[in-house]
This record gives sequence, C-alpha cells and structure tokens, in this order.
Amino acid sequence: MAKADLALPDFLDNMALKILMVEPGDLSVVGELLELVEQMLTSPVIKAFPGLVKTGRLFVIVLQKMIMGELPDDNENYERLGQCISLMQDVVRTEGRGDEKIFEQAVGVFAQTGLVIDPEFLDADQSDEGGDSQKPASASLQTDESESGGEVAAGSPGALQFEGLPDFLKDRDLLGGFIDEAFEHLEGIEVNILELEQNPDDLEIINNIFRPFHTIKGVSGFLNLKVINKLAHTTENLLDDVRNNRRKMDSDVIDIVLSVGDQLRVMVQNIRDILEKGMDHYIEFDISEYVEQIRNIQEGKKTAGSLRRRAAGPSTVAELKAQPTPFDTPGETEPDKNTGALRPTGREDAPASTKSAVGASIKVDIEKLDGLVNAVGELVIMQAMVRQNPMIIGLYDPKLNRDFAQLSRITTELQRTAMSMRMVPIRQTFQKMIRLVRDLSKKSGKVVDLIMTGEETEIDRNMVDSIYDPLVHMIRNSIDHGVQVPAEREKIGKPAVGVVNLRAYQKGGHIMIEIEDDGQGLNSEKIRKKAIERGLIQEGDALSDHELNNLIFIPGFSTADKITDVSGRGVGMDVVKKGVEKLRGKVEVLSQSGKGSQFIIRLPLTLAIIDGIIVRVGSERYIIPTIAIKESMRPKREFYNTVHGRGEALLIRETLIPIIRLYELFGVESTYTDPCEAIVVVVESEGRQRALMVDELLGKQEVVIKSLGGYMKEIPGVAGGTILGDGRVGLILDLAGIIGSSNTVRVEEERVVRNA
Amino acid sequence: MSETERIAASTHSEKVLAGKYLTFALGKEQYGIGILKVREIIGVMEITVVPHTPHYVKGVINLRGRVIPVLDLRLKFGMEAKKYNERTCVIVVDLLGSAGPVQVGMLVDSVSEVVNVGEQEIEPPPSFGGSEASGADILGMAKVKGAVIILLDVDQVIGIDRLEGSLV
Repeated sequence: MAKADLALPDFLDNMALKILMVEPGDLSVVGELLELVEQMLTSPVIKAFPGLVKTGRLFVIVLQKMIMGELPDDNENYERLGQCISLMQDVVRTEGRGDEKIFEQAVGVFAQTGLVIDPEFLDADQSDEGGDSQKPASASLQTDESESGGEVAAGSPGALQFEGLPDFLKDRDLLGGFIDEAFEHLEGIEVNILELEQNPDDLEIINNIFRPFHTIKGVSGFLNLKVINKLAHTTENLLDDVRNNRRKMDSDVIDIVLSVGDQLRVMVQNIRDILEKGMDHYIEFDISEYVEQIRNIQEGKKTAGSLRRRAAGPSTVAELKAQPTPFDTPGETEPDKNTGALRPTGREDAPASTKSAVGASIKVDIEKLDGLVNAVGELVIMQAMVRQNPMIIGLYDPKLNRDFAQLSRITTELQRTAMSMRMVPIRQTFQKMIRLVRDLSKKSGKVVDLIMTGEETEIDRNMVDSIYDPLVHMIRNSIDHGVQVPAEREKIGKPAVGVVNLRAYQKGGHIMIEIEDDGQGLNSEKIRKKAIERGLIQEGDALSDHELNNLIFIPGFSTADKITDVSGRGVGMDVVKKGVEKLRGKVEVLSQSGKGSQFIIRLPLTLAIIDGIIVRVGSERYIIPTIAIKESMRPKREFYNTVHGRGEALLIRETLIPIIRLYELFGVESTYTDPCEAIVVVVESEGRQRALMVDELLGKQEVVIKSLGGYMKEIPGVAGGTILGDGRVGLILDLAGIIGSSNTVRVEEERVVRNA
Repeated sequence: MSETERIAASTHSEKVLAGKYLTFALGKEQYGIGILKVREIIGVMEITVVPHTPHYVKGVINLRGRVIPVLDLRLKFGMEAKKYNERTCVIVVDLLGSAGPVQVGMLVDSVSEVVNVGEQEIEPPPSFGGSEASGADILGMAKVKGAVIILLDVDQVIGIDRLEGSLV
C-alpha cells in the first residue's frame, strides 16, 4: 500500500520481521528486504542520520551480494543482517544517539564475511540513483575463493546491456498479466505439493502441479522470458516422468519442485520490479544448478550438495555471461515445442475439472470495493429515511408497503453480499504455514505435526497480509525454541513427535489466533534475570509468571541476548507485538515451563460487521457489541452498594459487579444520574464483568465498524464508529478500553467484597 | 494510490502561493484556503461527540458513508464559540496524514466565494508574536478588491500529526 508514507521505525520493524522470516535459499524475502531498505533510503527523514544512511547503503550491498550469490545466503549472514537492523533500530529509537558510530559497528559486523568497503564511495551523493546497480562493483569482496574476487563484482548486472529488448516494453500489459498469473500458479503449486506429500500417489494432484508449470512454461516462452521458460520446462519434464510413472514421486522431487517454485517466484518478482522501477533492478539469475540437479534426479543420481547454497565459484563469471538473459531477442529459441504457445499444446486435457471445484473469481480493486460498501450502506440508510418520511407513512397503501418490504429485502441482501466480499477465510495464510513448519522441522531435525483448526474463520482482507509476518515469527519461535528434538522429548516422556496447534476462531467480537506448542515452554526465571539485567524490573518486584513471560514482548528485551535463547536473530518479539497492535489487536503468551507455550493473538473485526445493542446516553448513542453483553436491567435499590465512596457496585446473583457511569467517562450530559433509575448493561471483557450505566436501550442492530478516520484512532473506550439508521454516526464501545480506564478502583473493591 | 498522489500534489502546489482560494468568514475576518485542498462544502449537520479529544474537535459526521472528524475553526483559533446557524458550513478538506489521505471537516461561520489571487497581491504574513493563528499557519495576506484575506496553510492549521500525537 502506501509504503512511501512509512516512518523510519516502521521500515526497520518491517525489515526486522522480514529478516526473522527469511530462510536460506528463500531469495524472495531478500528481494523484499532490498526493496524496503531502498525505500527507507529515499525517505526524507533519514537524511538527518548520516550514519544510518551509510549503514543502509552497506546493507544494500550485502543484500545484493547475497542475491548474486557472492556472499552465501546462510544463517550466519542473516544473523549479521539482523544485528545490523537492530543497530539501526537503536539509533532511531534514541533519536540519533550513536549515529556517528553505527556505520563502523555495522562494518564490524560484516567484517567476518570478508566484505571490504571503500568508505568513500558510500559517501557519494545519493542523487546518483541510476548508478545504484553499479554499486557492488566498487566494493570488492575478498572471500576465500580469492580467484573469484573483484572479477565477480565486475560482472555484476550493471554491465549488462538492454538495448535489444523491444518486445519487453511493448508487451507490458501482457507481462503484467503474466506476473499475476504466475504468482497464482506458484502458490497453487506449493499448496498442491504439500498435499502430495501426504498422498504421494494421487495422480490428480500431480496433474495439478504439472499444469501450472506447463502454463508458466508456455507463456514465458511466448513472452521470451527465456530463463524462466527453461526452468519451468525442465521441471515440467521431470513432472512428466512422474506423471507417466517413469519415476516415483519422492522427497527429492518434492524438494526440487519446491525450490524451483521459490526461484521462479524470485524471478517473476524481479520482472515486476523491472516493470515498476526500471531496468536498474534487473537481476541476472543463474539456474544452471537447478537444471543440473533436475537432470541428476531424472538420471537417477543422488543429489550432490544442497541447492540452497550457491557456490560463488570461479566459473560463475563465465556462466553469467554465457547465460541467455530473460529478455534475449528471439532467434535461437531453445525450448522447441512451445514457441508462441499460450494454449496448452494438446498435451494435457483442459484444466476444467479442477476449476469447477474452486469456483471462478475475479480480482477487484480494493478501493472500488470500499466504494461499493459505502454506497450500499448509504442506500440502506436512505431507504430507511424515505420510508420514515411522514408523507409516506401517511399513505396507507398496501402495494407501497409490499414494495417497500421487497426493496428492503433486496438492499439487505445487497449489503450482506457487499460486506462478505471484504472477508476472506484465513485458510490461505494458514496453508503457507504448512510449508514453513515442514522446512523448519526438517532443518532442525525435529519432528513436528502442525494441526490447524478453524481455517474457515473469516478475517478482513486487509488483515491477511499484515498478520502473515507475525504468525510466521511465532511459529518459528515455537519450533526453534519450543519443541525439543525427538530424543530429548522421549527422555522426558513426551511423544517424539511435537505438536504445534494453529487455531483460529471468533470470540467476543474478536478473531483469535492461537499458536500452541508442546515444547519446553518459557523459562520464567531466566526471563526475570534478563529483565533485571536490562533494568526492566526491580529485583524485588513481585511479578507472576504470566507477567514475566509477557516481558518478552518489550522492545529491546531480547536484543540484549542476541542469537540465543528467546530471540532468533537479534530482533525480538516486540516486532510481533507491534505488527499485531497495528491491527489494533493484542498478543500474549501463556506458558508452562516444560509443558509448552501458547501465543494468543486477538484481533478486532476492524471492518467487519458486528451485532450491537444501541444504547442512549443523553443525546449520544453508543453501540455495545452484543457478544459481550450478559444481561441488562434496571437495578433494585437493595442491590446497590457504594464502596468507600470511591466506587459503586451492584450485587447481581451473589457477584458484586462494579458500575461504570458511561456519561462520566465520556463527559456527556445524561438523563439519569441515579443508577436505580437508569438501565445497567452487564458486560464482560477479558473475564471481567462491569455494569455500564446508560439511559435507555434503543435496539439491536448489525452495524459496520468504520474507523473514525486516520487521526481519531486510539481513543480509549471507542473501537470505532458506525452509521446509524438516521444517518448519524454512533460510536462503538471498546469494552476492554473502558474497563481498563476505570480499572484503578477495581482491586480495592474486590478486596472489600471478600472481607464483607 | 492516485488519491494519495493527488493530495500530495496539492500540498506541494501551495508553495506557489498565487492561485484560486476558497474564502470564508470567521468572526470579522476573511480567510482563504487553497481550492485544491477543498473536497466539498456541506451544511452543518448533527455531530456525534467523541470523548477524550481536544475541545476544538467537535466530533464526527457521516459524509456519505464515511466517518470524518469535524473541527470548529473558531475554537481552534481561540475565538469565542458561536451558535451554529443556517450559514454555518463544514468545509471538507483533503489532507495527507501519516496513514494516507484523510478527510477533515472544518466548521466556519460562512463560506464566501472563490477568488483568484495573483502573486503580487500576496504579502508575507506579519509576525504577531506567539498567538495560535500566527506564524506557520499563515501562508500570507492577500489584498483582493480592497479586502484583506488571510491565506491559511490547512495542513498546519489542522496539524494532523500534532493532533494524532495529542490523542494517544
């Protein structure tokens, strides 16, 4: 979205999240990182921190080298990047303190990689944007394979020529279409592959994987994207063997198809970058290793060496130059069968069988959708207003009444449909976690079962993207630090297979997402020690384990103890918390040492419809989410108690429930000031009950939560607004906030109750 | 995105002061704001009070399905409150907040006209020393047809970022 508007800390937070998620070999994330840093470097705010700018440029160089395969994209390097990010975060957090030192520190961090930076070129004026891709050339790399040295850098993409790409720019629309399509296909491939792992002999699934590769191959050939075409083609051949029972679908094939999928994604993303930002972003991809490995598999050889590590050997230069660019001019078209073949080449039946099950869908611009939803909302309100017009009410015409009834049925249906368009099941996000868990457990030598429930839970479309990163981080956390290796598990009497539960459900006007593992849990004592070290708590502070555990979400907490323990890569759980809080949600962790931990994310239904009771206080009307309401009543005098003159409470069925005078809290004039004349609505939030004092209950209605506009967020006690039947705005109450802001007297009251 | 760009463009174009201004009355004075900032002008409607907001934030209104905040410019400028009448207007302006485009309504006594102000008619803002509507809020003073119009920098007046900060 409007990324250009991000503030400096946001950029760094986003980068921190990315670095947490990155897996060796997953260059798409590296690409995203690169994009973020570059955006950050163009933001005006950063100019105030010269050290930060230099560090940022250094960061760019390291990333570019990793993409080029000159630096290995392994865990150590990601850790270094993570440290670098947290250095930058520190500078921004302290508003520039340490800015003058940060660059040297960062250079120190990367020193072990053999990267030598000529400081002068980093000082070069940034206006020289066009030269960006040339930058790696000026920093020389002294790796162990010194023979590759500066040569590799000199062969970097800046040197490539693009005069001969007439088709490329002409076919912009076509290419754009291809990009979207390709991403969809790649997603489909991944989901299907993982499914295949469970049912390796299901021919239908194999076909479902084969087809998208075939399509990508066809279209990329047509568009003259040679490297993509070649990779897809080779993979397709391999899959064809599987399809025709010439070889078995085994984990070798699955692995290679998955990593080819990743590689294709990076390549397609690169084309998108080029389209959006120009040629500077062109990256040369070397796919020879994939091709070779696929051949090896086809020939039945065992795979030699992992694909995920790219050797920056001396041969690279030659290869780079010899490789046809994706935009090579037509001529020696290598894959023969499919030049110009956009339609399947009769090799495969039409993919209609699968499509019908999924259902056709179209993509709609989110702005248009919002416009539609707003317009429908207005329509409903206008209809109500016309109907309540005294002239119309005066016309006792049965036909008119029938027509009105029909009209309102139609508008209600329309509204419901419009609303539902913005909600999507969380399934897709969850499905991406299957892959993550698989990769993580494989790498760490742990055996982990991912059990997902509630995939059909619908969440707001706008949340899907933002929730993905925090979710990944927490799953990572659970597997990396929670679940133990099988041997250890058996020793303490747990089943060898660890279980990570991923749940989504709706509760109390919130969407809950839980990640629960049966691992070792958090060590509260350790956390306490660290918190004292960091000065977050005092030695004598009496904190419950629960409170201690939740300290891990404090910024800067885990950065202290890099790369060990609770933190992963020098950036901590605070980025998760921030990510969730941006969605106006909350996250907490429950943990029992030795038994496991459970992360609970609570998200509001920000833009969703909620069922609410409309109440009146003076001339204002508020909406209380129905789901939080226990009961409502006009209290009897004998159940009314005041406590110490400070708080007041109602005794309802043996429970003393504190009263909150809404008019006092919100500073409005109310009709009643005596609780026994007014109405109280008993609500519950986070296990606490309160009696809200209101003047009148007006009715129940489904309302659409609307934000109060950009700068009215974060108002305590108000979750948002909605348009009521008469066109006016009503405020939706945020009960957690209301209870929180009147919380100070609570403890005392309860104590008194116990004594009484 | 195009929306954002358009508003950003209008923010920049205010650096060139000459142009069309929408003028309105506030007390005895005439004020002007760049026409590109103005989205629409509506009559005053019922406003929903929002708690815990600065006193000049009157609340929120429904602008065709959108909830937007409304400020009373009189209160914002430290002038005396005035009862709203049929001439009272809400000028809806487009601003660029940190989270994207934001619409805000400003309550004014009455809307006057759109005037074309030439560069030579504009004088730099006089310094009054420290009062609310001085300094950064004012782009300049324009003399048009013998009357003085105070040209306001809407972004500064509404101070979206300051407001955002004060609410947390």
